[in-house]
Amino acid sequence: MKATLDIINRMQADGVIGQYAIGGAVGATFYLEPVATLDVDIFVSLPTASSGALLTLAPIYDYLTRCGYRTEGEYVVIEDWPVQFLPPTNALGEEAVAQAVATEVEGVPTRVISAEHLVAMALQTGRAKDYSRILQFVESGVLDADKLDAILNRHGLLGKWEQFANKFLKENQ
Amino acid sequence: MSEWLRKMLESKRRARQRLAALSFSEKLKLLEKLRDRSRTIALVREKPTKKYG
Repeated sequence: MKATLDIINRMQADGVIGQYAIGGAVGATFYLEPVATLDVDIFVSLPTASSGALLTLAPIYDYLTRCGYRTEGEYVVIEDWPVQFLPPTNALGEEAVAQAVATEVEGVPTRVISAEHLVAMALQTGRAKDYSRILQFVESGVLDADKLDAILNRHGLLGKWEQFANKFLKENQ
Repeated sequence: MSEWLRKMLESKRRARQRLAALSFSEKLKLLEKLRDRSRTIALVREKPTKKYG
């Protein structure tokens, strides 16, 4: 993973991507016990995405292909990790990247989406595995309730949270 | 809940807490091991099996 992050940091330094943050199962692993996964989700802002320009991942694929990395469907395999680059598709994703937590992996600087944003994004996506991840976060006690509440409120997710809590959390209260 | 089940759940909870308390770098190394095992299992599954009968 260290080598993978090194390459992603180099992409940022070369201006191919803007700010980025690790999400998905690898991001959750920052806060929880290791969550088994075969790939890495990198939420990334694109430098050319402003002023209404068409959002395209082509510069990322071109750059990495030139560096000798191969693509597998929507993934690019970077130093043995299939990496999926995900430009934020809404305000929640943009905020999650902007407010990510700075950390290090074996001395390599990187950023991870906050626990509360990961939960809000999982709630918004709403698959069974997302709900399972939310429960892991709730049970772990790492969430800042006030911060999560503010995020859910800002992004219109309070109703969805209420439904989730009624279904999965009530019996534990 | 039986005493045996309660002890087992408590033991699992402690193990999860212990793993969660590791550094991010250590946890990522564990993730890599898990990933490699999953790949090995997937490869074994892909091998054609001999059919009998």
